[in-house]
Amino acid sequence: MPLSLSDPTWYPIASSEDLPFRHVYQGQLLGRELAVWRADDGNVNVWENRCLHRGVRLSIGINEGQELKCQYHGWRYANQSAGCTYIPAHPADAPARRIENRKYPVKEAFGLIWSAANDDQKFAPFAGAESTDWFPLRPMPVNAAPEDVLAGLARLAPDDQPADLLPGMALRLGTTVYFVQPVDAGRSVIRGLIEKPADEVATLRHYNETLTKLRDRLERAAAKKPAPEPLQPVFEKVSADLASMPDIAIPRGNTMPVVVKRKWQSADGVIGFELADRDGKHLPTFQPGAHIDVHLPNGLIRQYSITNGPGDLSSYVIGVKQESASKGGSKVLVETVREGDVLAISEPRNNFPLRRDATRTVLIAGGIGITPLLSMARFLDKSSLNYELHYFARTGDGLAFQSELAALHGKVDRHIGLAREAIKAKVAEVLGQYQFANHVYICGPGAMLEMVQETAASLGWPDDAIHFEYFQNDKVIDSSSAFDVELARSAMTLHVPAGKTILETMREAGLTVPSSCEQGACGTCLTTVMEGEVDHQDVYLNKTEKASNTCMMTCVSRAKSGRLVLDI
Amino acid sequence: MDCPDKPGNDDRYECPLMTITLYDFELSGNCYKLRLLMNILNLPYEIVPVDFFPGRQHKADWFLRMNPFGQLPVLKDDDLTLSDSGAILAYLAKKYDTSGKWFPDDPAVTAEVLRWHSVADDITSTSSAARLALGYGYAFDIEKSQKGAHRIFRLMDEHLWFGEKSGRDWLCSPAHPTTADIACFPYVMLSEEGGISRQDYPALRRWTDRVRRVPGFTVMSGIFPAGRAKE
Repeated sequence: MPLSLSDPTWYPIASSEDLPFRHVYQGQLLGRELAVWRADDGNVNVWENRCLHRGVRLSIGINEGQELKCQYHGWRYANQSAGCTYIPAHPADAPARRIENRKYPVKEAFGLIWSAANDDQKFAPFAGAESTDWFPLRPMPVNAAPEDVLAGLARLAPDDQPADLLPGMALRLGTTVYFVQPVDAGRSVIRGLIEKPADEVATLRHYNETLTKLRDRLERAAAKKPAPEPLQPVFEKVSADLASMPDIAIPRGNTMPVVVKRKWQSADGVIGFELADRDGKHLPTFQPGAHIDVHLPNGLIRQYSITNGPGDLSSYVIGVKQESASKGGSKVLVETVREGDVLAISEPRNNFPLRRDATRTVLIAGGIGITPLLSMARFLDKSSLNYELHYFARTGDGLAFQSELAALHGKVDRHIGLAREAIKAKVAEVLGQYQFANHVYICGPGAMLEMVQETAASLGWPDDAIHFEYFQNDKVIDSSSAFDVELARSAMTLHVPAGKTILETMREAGLTVPSSCEQGACGTCLTTVMEGEVDHQDVYLNKTEKASNTCMMTCVSRAKSGRLVLDI
Repeated sequence: MDCPDKPGNDDRYECPLMTITLYDFELSGNCYKLRLLMNILNLPYEIVPVDFFPGRQHKADWFLRMNPFGQLPVLKDDDLTLSDSGAILAYLAKKYDTSGKWFPDDPAVTAEVLRWHSVADDITSTSSAARLALGYGYAFDIEKSQKGAHRIFRLMDEHLWFGEKSGRDWLCSPAHPTTADIACFPYVMLSEEGGISRQDYPALRRWTDRVRRVPGFTVMSGIFPAGRAKE
């Protein structure tokens, strides 16, 4: 039977021991080359051996523990999802859309790594698999057609005890089970499982000798036949979505259901929530600094930063502040949502991206502002990049995620109970005079953010080295102006009356435009301004960006001029 | 004479008068073997570039006077002129490696190391030949060279696979790398430039990770760093 590119059978493609710490294994199944790597958390990834940026083999890339880094231009891909998390040529930007390498199903069982060309079949153990503590033989690559190799293995059986053929190019010879991995039309790997022997090395050598002789016989026979045509796998093109310019308007985004797997008191006044897929699948790729919208039972939508480290997609962990005077957002989460409840969340969005090309990265957290910075610290930590994390809190009991912070190797300083002036002095001391390629990231209460920005600016830090994220916009929004907006790409002119936002006006006119917090804090509705003078009322843009008059947040900001032209 | 930049900025190192000169071609795996060991041993040296391709300076009169065989690399240490990468590796290790690990004195281990130096030459005559044929227009038999390299890689993979099973990480029996590993490494790593895939040799690929994690490891064009070792 000729090999088929769409054969859904699960075949072993490696031994478990082929995937040691920080290694990238090169394999092949049915003509498709594979890059196989084990993350530090134990998860095994089977990906197409091709960086979708410039096609270089990922098997020569670097296993960074929870991300795989392409050797060519340093694109990084996350454990589990194969989603791109960082593009060094665009260090200040989050990879905007869902760039994901092709991945294949994987199962680790009986000392072997199994994969299949597609997801059409569920993995099923071979007959009798569960009865034995299996021990894998040295794999034996053979330059011969898989069906010929299988037939050759069957001929090893003694006459009175013929081989027992199993489904999926496998057979049982006495207590030994052999699998033929169909590498390509003319190439195979013999993988064998035996019961754990008393003298391992002697037994392995014995089998190795038998299989070496079989290989030599099979290759001599194969050399006399015309070589079969190699399989011609089709490399899927990068999707049109990735290859083309982004749509003008990205819809608000579908939500996905997640189950509250765990809810716990992380610190005095901070509740941790662990959110996971209901079927145990991994969640979408995120980058450090990213947040999700959480749709609350009372209809409100709130943003929470993901605290996870790289390639950790089994669940998202968020921290929620228990506020006494909460407006009903976090209060609902804290008081009514229980473990086992299902919530709707958005896909992760990142308006607070982390550069990984800084010579010095300073992370400054105030209170619950630790959440995005914990994620950043974990990414930098895994890649052994230099960082320092300063965590300001009113009381020691209020320090959240203590065990996660303790697992970091970098400098983590906790500053407890400092008065406003003392915080300012400490921040100035921590920052020091600005030096080239230094970057600071701040998240915390509004007053603290402003103080750190001012302090950094007074020490010569330029705006593009100061990165911040507000929880919320505390400013009183002045919506008294009325003006026209001309939407250049949509060829539409709309009148924005007093009391209504640009965003609302556009939605009423039938446009789908992205937004999230709708209070000028999160950055999702960022829009390019082509003409007109903007009345900025958000806390997302920095001073330089506001002064440039080239961009705005349509959820709160308005016009000082009678007319604005937007790139929408 | 000024002291050149030392690898690793090691302040303990007292700069001697520059004595070592390497006649070097940047893209040569055999020259890289010496750069690699000298970097590991933190030895300062000067480089005289020799245009092997396309200039064929290794066949020029001035070069043939140093090495009548017309082969790179050549290394001068004061008045001594040496050729053959394997011989020079042994010389550098014996003279400058105070740990005695890179070319051990134990007679049995010396024999092991020399055995693999000889395999390294076989790798050069197969894997490197295929690379020269494909990339530099040399009139070598490509298919024969590739087959020869695959034959050696199969044996190395088996040797290294059973080594891992018995707790041996390197080509020779000591618990540390020797010049045998350095001698065999470059043209294993560069084999794909000769159309020789290492996909069928997982234990050989893991060994190349280990070599690339040796402290003082340095790269060359086509040889990239590996992921970090477990701490």
